[in-house]
Amino acid sequence: MLRASAIAFEYEFNLASIGDPSISTGIPGGTELLLFVDAVIGSSVPEIRHAQTAVIGALRPEGLADAAGVFGNFEMMNRVAEGTGIPIAVQAIERMADTIDELGIRHFIKS
Amino acid sequence: MFEFKGSPVEVRDDLRNTYVEIWRHLAEPGPTLTGSQRVGLAEHVRAARSGDSSIRHDMPDALLHLASTLFRNPADVDGFMVRHAAEDAGNPMVVEIIGLVSMLAAVDGAHRGLTAELEPLPDPMDGEPTGVIAEGLKQRRTHVPMPAGPIPVALDLVPEVGQAYRDSFGPQYMTEAEMAFDDFNRIPGLNRAQIEIISSRISIHNECFY
Repeated sequence: MLRASAIAFEYEFNLASIGDPSISTGIPGGTELLLFVDAVIGSSVPEIRHAQTAVIGALRPEGLADAAGVFGNFEMMNRVAEGTGIPIAVQAIERMADTIDELGIRHFIKS
Repeated sequence: MFEFKGSPVEVRDDLRNTYVEIWRHLAEPGPTLTGSQRVGLAEHVRAARSGDSSIRHDMPDALLHLASTLFRNPADVDGFMVRHAAEDAGNPMVVEIIGLVSMLAAVDGAHRGLTAELEPLPDPMDGEPTGVIAEGLKQRRTHVPMPAGPIPVALDLVPEVGQAYRDSFGPQYMTEAEMAFDDFNRIPGLNRAQIEIISSRISIHNECFY
């Protein structure tokens, strides 16, 4: 989905940035958003505030409010996925094999 | 309610209203639990995340363990843990708590992102559990019974919980109709590529393929 949306906006998206935020994302405000997620996961308030300031600078205050909402949504979705054990279709795994290997996330796929 | 004290930015009304609805849902009787049990469960997992396991409620230990683990670190949840809870409490109650814990994680996660004070839990509403549980669902290759389909239907063993969960998608992410558009753009706000970069990074942290 990320690749498709990056293409839709004609961004030169770099997939490796998802696993390593020191790599340029190619998406406006993308690095600021990745570091925002890392800071919120880390739960250090000074680091979160620093990351908030960067997101506001890149994407305006509305961008930060949106980012917080999206963060919450995927905290929810990840828990629904893990709690219910919803399976990942074999076809999807095969279709995304290159992405899975590039990000090194094959061990996320549970049987 | 939901003043987001400490946030450096204003929160959109539709997002705020979504959280109000989640709080209303949390407080009311569910398919298998009373409002008091549901709010008590939320209190338990919040405290457990802070390292306080002293807040106990009259629910099976395996269920409380699943709830607090799912809230604190979802990657630690596996089929054995879920099935163990279901043996003690039944699949409907397990799915109900998966939904409640997940929606609580959404609300608290957004507050952490905004460095806002966590919203106090709601007062529980009176009443007995509704008993509304879907029939005929199968446990395919999943931990719990669910309809065939993508993740939005994963909680539909308990339809009231599944609906509350789906209703929260739009303001937090995109509506199911908006998800059809790769070029979705919330103005002012984030476009879909920016939204997906957040979701991808969270999933890396949570070690979740989704």
